[in-house]
Amino acid sequence: MIYLDNSATTRTLDAAADAARTYMTTRFFNPSAAYSAAAETEKAVEAARARLAFALDAKPEEIVYTSGATESNNAAISGALKAMRGKGRLIVGATEHPSAYEVVKAYSRQGYDVVEAPVDSTGAVDLAALSTLLTEDTRLVSVMQVNNEVGAVNDCAAIYRAVKAAAPEAVVHTDGVQGFLKVPFDAKDCDFYALSAHKFHGPKGVGALYVKTGVRFAGGQAGGGQEKDRRSGTTNTPGIMGMDAAVADYLAHLEEYRKHMMACKLRLAKNLSGIRDVLINGPKPAQGAPHILNVSILGVRGEVMLHALEAREVFVSTGSACSAHKKGKNRILTAMGVTGARQEGALRLSLCPFNTLEEMDAAAAIIAEQAAFLRKYKRR
Amino acid sequence: MNQVLLVRYGEIHLKGLNRPFFERKLLDNIRAALAGLDAAVRFDQGRIFVEGVAAEHVEEACLRLTRVFGVHSISPALAVEKEYTAVAAAAESVMEASMKEGGRTFKCFCRRADKTFPMDSQQIDRELGHDMLERFPELRVDVREPQIKLCVEIRDRAFVYAREIMGAGGMPTGTAGRAMLLISGGIDSPVAGYMMARRGIELSAIHFYSYPYTSERARDKVVKLTELLARYAGPVKLHLVPFTEIQLAIYDRCPPKETTILMRRLMMRIAERVAEADGARALVTGEALGQVASQTLESLCVTDDAADMPVFRPLIAFDKDDIVNVAKKIGTFETSILPYEDCCTVFVPAHPVTRPSVAGLRASEAAVDFSEMIEKARAEAEVLEVN
Repeated sequence: MIYLDNSATTRTLDAAADAARTYMTTRFFNPSAAYSAAAETEKAVEAARARLAFALDAKPEEIVYTSGATESNNAAISGALKAMRGKGRLIVGATEHPSAYEVVKAYSRQGYDVVEAPVDSTGAVDLAALSTLLTEDTRLVSVMQVNNEVGAVNDCAAIYRAVKAAAPEAVVHTDGVQGFLKVPFDAKDCDFYALSAHKFHGPKGVGALYVKTGVRFAGGQAGGGQEKDRRSGTTNTPGIMGMDAAVADYLAHLEEYRKHMMACKLRLAKNLSGIRDVLINGPKPAQGAPHILNVSILGVRGEVMLHALEAREVFVSTGSACSAHKKGKNRILTAMGVTGARQEGALRLSLCPFNTLEEMDAAAAIIAEQAAFLRKYKRR
Repeated sequence: MNQVLLVRYGEIHLKGLNRPFFERKLLDNIRAALAGLDAAVRFDQGRIFVEGVAAEHVEEACLRLTRVFGVHSISPALAVEKEYTAVAAAAESVMEASMKEGGRTFKCFCRRADKTFPMDSQQIDRELGHDMLERFPELRVDVREPQIKLCVEIRDRAFVYAREIMGAGGMPTGTAGRAMLLISGGIDSPVAGYMMARRGIELSAIHFYSYPYTSERARDKVVKLTELLARYAGPVKLHLVPFTEIQLAIYDRCPPKETTILMRRLMMRIAERVAEADGARALVTGEALGQVASQTLESLCVTDDAADMPVFRPLIAFDKDDIVNVAKKIGTFETSILPYEDCCTVFVPAHPVTRPSVAGLRASEAAVDFSEMIEKARAEAEVLEVN
């Protein structure tokens, strides 16, 4: 099997699964309990929090554990707005993930002025266009660090500066689900940052939200007051400790992993570029995130190619798994100006540090062979 | 006081000497539909009585009965002794329930099948109306358009009810023989199957898939649609036939404009053979005249030419909107619109022929020897008993 759908989810690291198991079976105590065994569990969770904060150049108290990306994005947006007085403008990137995009969009029904920040042909937010949208009454700007379908990397530092210059009251939320650990990021360049463990070999159902000190936040579910009253609910120790093991592994190999994924991606891009009528969507491979490559194989519908590859044990996707069940056009590619046959033939190949260069060659060869075969049966 | 479901049936009343056959079948189907609910089902004087269903399962039982073809309507009723005070007590409890639903105007409607009962229908209506008004001062009588129609039937016992739930109508499944439905996974074919089953047909179904180019999910979707259909039609024997080899042969060796219509002819041929083996006597499709290129009159003639069995197309004169409405009503729509490629969309010609000729297509088909491929597809078909 060659698994090239790591942006949908990754295989959980053995160390992460082991850690989760330990905190389910032996160290299962509720960290909020009073006895010393529970206190030890609490210490472990706090150590994990410190490590996660370190990865973002943040302070431990700025990390709130959540159930994952969707909760983090929802909580950041609604929690920030709830803490503010008065309505105003909300700006959302045109290619945001639905878990941020739909949340911001829904505020238009509550009297907010919701506008979309357009992206350029590579899928990155157009900074000049964003600047013209910024008004004094802008309340929130939500732009992702790395686009999940094409791997475009946004200039988060520049976006943060531009927003704060034009609208000092506005908060900036960065969806870091695809970018965390894979592309350098410093928490000083955002007010909120969302991440999810299963995108970097941690377990599913756990993630975190970074909330900058001093930024007002009224989000999170109410209840027992865990996470410093920012997210009630029994602490998910197996998830958190599993995520911690994955963070630790990534941090121990950070440069190596990033370089290796980029080498694999460049090899794959080069191999695929050798096939007739294959176009790369999004940024130039060397400029995008190291793990996401989006290509269009003209003349073969994405879903047909996907299943043809599946039969050869190569797993890819035609777009975000969160959109795969929706019919119609791909919003992300459309926003980038990728339409028609090019959109129909689009495939996303997403990598992890454990893919190999040999896999890139083998996958490209299978794609080339299937493209040649299936093109015989295209519309004519 | 006993909870009973009164079940009325429709068109069977028009039957003559073979009426008991239809009634028996309907009774069997009702028993099957109510399996697991401890229901005792009994037939008496043109009515079906369901007893023994626990109070918390009455709504479920009613829902299941609305899916049994041949049922005209259902009324959850209270059965009591044939004695006025018992009838009045039951009426009070039925009225209370109806008023909780918001009803404030009513009329009484009594039918006395047992003429030995001392009061006649009008007397019962008057007495009961009087008692209800006394018991529930906020009620008013409205004989023209009552919100609550309080019904009493005097039979071997007295039955009191106010609700009448409409059934699916049609004829009992299994009274009209077996037919083979060509099911694609789209909106139309499940509706076509439903409509034929509603006339008493037992269904087999056949689906063609293009492994590996159509997904496991596309297959699961067809199984799911068949399950939804089986809620009405009873058990369906589903044949899943691999079609890729035939499709590729058509694309390799036949005129591009004719690929779709040739595919359909070959599907008919395979469906007919499988149908024969299943004891089915007709084919059923979801085609509607003019909906797409393969459903023009000319195309339908060419498709028909490939089958000897009659081909039933219950949707032939339906607009798409009408089909969608039925699909929503029977609960197949949401599943039908799941966006997976099916064997007809994987490879589509840009400009399919819309006015094919029978002679022309016979010639195109004859140019390739499909017989071995057809046998192979049949042999490799997977058969599921879907309930």
